[in-house]
Amino acid sequence: MPARATSLPVYPFTAIVGQDEMKLCLLLNVVDPRIGGVMIMGHRGTGKSTAVRALADVLPSIVRVVGDPYNRAPDDPTYWAEHTQNGKRPRTERVPVPVVDLPLGATEDRVCGTIDIEAALTQGVKRFAPGLLAQANRGFLYIDEVNLLDDHLVDVLLDVAASGWNVVEREGISVRHPARFVLVGSGNPEEGELRPQLLDRFGLHARIVTITDVAQRMEIVRRRRAFDADPQAFLRAWQPQQRALRRRILAAQQRLPHVEISEGVLALMAELCMKLNVDGHRGELTLARASAALAALEGRTSVTADDVRRVAVPALRHRLRRDPLETTDAGDKVVEAWRETLAARHPSASQATMAT
Amino acid sequence: MLPFTQIVGLERAQQALLLLAVNPALKGVAIAATVGSGKSTLARAFAELLPASTPFVELPLNITEDRLLGGLDLEATLATGRRVVEPGLLARAHGGVLYVDGLNLLDRTVVTHLVEALSSNVVRVERDGLSAVHPSEFMLIATFDPSDGDVSPSLLDRLALFVPLTPSAVAAARAEVVRRNLWPAEADDEVAMLRSLIQVARQALPHVRISDEQVQALLHTALSLGVEGNRADIFAVEAALAAAALEGRTQVDDSDLRLAAQLVLVPRATRSPHEQLQAATHERAPQPPPTPSDGDETQRDGQADEPRLPEEMLLEAVKTELPPDLLGLPFALQRKSRASGRRGVALNARRGRFVRAVEGDLRCGRIALLPTLLAAAPWQRLRQTECPHHNGRIQVRRGDLRVKRFRDRAGMLYVFVVDASGSMAINRMREAKGAAIRLLQDAYVHRDHVALIAFRGRAAQVLLPVAQSVERAKRELDVLPTGGGTPLASALLAALQIIRQARSRGIAQATLVLMTDGRANVGIAAADRQTLREEVRRLAQLIVAERINSVVIDTQVNYLSRSEAAELATWLGGRYVYLPNAKADQIAQKAMSISSAIRR
Repeated sequence: MPARATSLPVYPFTAIVGQDEMKLCLLLNVVDPRIGGVMIMGHRGTGKSTAVRALADVLPSIVRVVGDPYNRAPDDPTYWAEHTQNGKRPRTERVPVPVVDLPLGATEDRVCGTIDIEAALTQGVKRFAPGLLAQANRGFLYIDEVNLLDDHLVDVLLDVAASGWNVVEREGISVRHPARFVLVGSGNPEEGELRPQLLDRFGLHARIVTITDVAQRMEIVRRRRAFDADPQAFLRAWQPQQRALRRRILAAQQRLPHVEISEGVLALMAELCMKLNVDGHRGELTLARASAALAALEGRTSVTADDVRRVAVPALRHRLRRDPLETTDAGDKVVEAWRETLAARHPSASQATMAT
Repeated sequence: MLPFTQIVGLERAQQALLLLAVNPALKGVAIAATVGSGKSTLARAFAELLPASTPFVELPLNITEDRLLGGLDLEATLATGRRVVEPGLLARAHGGVLYVDGLNLLDRTVVTHLVEALSSNVVRVERDGLSAVHPSEFMLIATFDPSDGDVSPSLLDRLALFVPLTPSAVAAARAEVVRRNLWPAEADDEVAMLRSLIQVARQALPHVRISDEQVQALLHTALSLGVEGNRADIFAVEAALAAAALEGRTQVDDSDLRLAAQLVLVPRATRSPHEQLQAATHERAPQPPPTPSDGDETQRDGQADEPRLPEEMLLEAVKTELPPDLLGLPFALQRKSRASGRRGVALNARRGRFVRAVEGDLRCGRIALLPTLLAAAPWQRLRQTECPHHNGRIQVRRGDLRVKRFRDRAGMLYVFVVDASGSMAINRMREAKGAAIRLLQDAYVHRDHVALIAFRGRAAQVLLPVAQSVERAKRELDVLPTGGGTPLASALLAALQIIRQARSRGIAQATLVLMTDGRANVGIAAADRQTLREEVRRLAQLIVAERINSVVIDTQVNYLSRSEAAELATWLGGRYVYLPNAKADQIAQKAMSISSAIRR
């Protein structure tokens, strides 16, 4: 099994200063993985990868069959199909939700899995060695600098992410295993453009910029230095916050099935998407899931118009029709459309809502 | 080899290297220097200053991905029967120095891996059936000649220290190097002293203090210079601490802040602080000063007579340090406006030199022998048992075949050459801009490049140099000048030059999209109509000889006869299309339909 570099101390998620949109997008995906992942685009050195790598520590654990390379739950039908346990339940274990880092130099055989070289060498047998997609099942798959990844690999990843299955047909072996994961990508738009097809596949699209507030920057420097000087002490100091966030996420996950969206709020989402000319229904769907996840995260069981407002920009900014000559930021357009949608509804109340 | 203390003229670089030696958290130094300025001597001399066991690894420019990251050690694997991963260069540099000469000549893939190793301190191998994590924490010393092109900003951003080119210093240095070579004197003693100085400073580093006020001064300076991201803040603080440690101080002082600002912040400037100075100092007022952490507010000797705030002092110092032309700085370069003079080579240009072996059959490429054998090797035992009649000969199967791939095999450069003369030009220009951006967005944006040349008045003008980024194209094509004469020949020449340059960087395929409605009336050298035509015809021949594919879009509104545009299309061996009110989509489609035929 490939070793994960977990021995290195990881900066705690709760200690990250600012960049609320990015943090929120990540947390919403934790609460509801069906949101479909998040793409984080922004300046260098703004903590994109720090945030994603920090996520692992606040994720609740999952139950899997002991040692299963695909992290399958004991009731996963594909597990039963492989192992006839004569009715016995397999032994299970609690493991952290996997966060798999996909390095840019990865080759397809390691991503998808291939024949086990060692077994072939030493025992002369054909055996499947699961790849990164197997490790990522039921977890997160993170690609830093996703805009620099080989096109071919991107296609493979999108295929698997869409279907939830990884199919391997190579070196005379044939394997099909579940690979459901939340795809998280990050990149810098100045380094190379993303294919639009790729962009659409991510549920949310967060943009981050350099923090210009001096007090916040002071705090970033102070915390970073404290962490570098004594990581263990820093982690201990942040343990209560980390634990609190973990509890909050867990509660939100349990609350999510009970969150309701009223007809009025659903109509609001539809109107917003119509105003923005969003193709298809993916926009509304993501909007609904993200705002429900937000409500759950905040301990409520009904979605408010304000929840929709807070997730509208990351849920829709990458779904607008692209006009090559357009210079307005897509996020601003979403904000403007929201204002108009509300104004059409309650001509008097719109002003107050936007101000919050 | 010259010892470190004997190298002169590169004082700024020496200072930077000493800071790095004291505080490896600074990650690296990038030195801009021309050939023969002693930069590589300096890097090697630097290694001498570190403890004897410190690895010094040089990164060759033509390194392959598997040598960089590590791969299967075939010999050991076959001998032991276990897969053995041979560490790559990044792993071998762990705990030591990695030296790159010609940072801007590295392949983009290599740059990406360097960036990843610098940010994660490990190198992860997930390739060819192997999976491994090696520690890879190193100090990167990178030199580059700015005239070779731009350096990847994301790589520069991960190195704290940057030493700009100082031509005057280079000349002085050479004379001094010669002089000192004649009297090598106490060089050894000096090096030994420096080495122990670094050791002492390293041990003192954790005890050096920096006050909140001083940190704030660095942050204000970063803000007023428009430094992107938060990494520079931390680097600046670390550099100031190292500077103090090197001087034997336990408290950072003004000179340390200045040095940190010079080496870390100024090179990252994207704007001049003049317009920002007011706002920055203003901003600070309403914010309560952050509470000092343990015992920071110690007395600062030597500053009593200077009651100024450190941030004012620092901004003053930085202003004198800032080059008059900000655009020469590596990070400002990215944002420079079209109006600027010198243009660097497109960022992160992928080169065609880099070869990688991929699975495939022999119909789609040349066989890569070694990778093919490597791929076959692990299965030999299995295959021998399956087909024993081969008598121990190596059995290569179809699935083992690896063929050579050039990274930019399918990369296409679209050069739009647009007639910006005459009254209708503004529409044409706008649609051409739209087409250029659309091509970047919709076509395989990963690989394709677009350039745009406008011709009007006396000569052609490159409005958008070879670029891959939509953001950049939008920025650079902000203003579209129109009107005046029609210097067609000059435009064709500019296109040819752009394509030749691109080819030298590995973008093999080029498509020329020419949009015009009229005839040339301004020549390069020609005066009369006849020689004018002749100039155009000969340039067209050159373009054909370079195997550049063309499409001529005739945009004349009153179609009278097949114009000279049609004739030009014939000369270029390209397609002629009559589209009087060409829309961006149509233009992009025409260009793509031509190039897709070539790609197959």
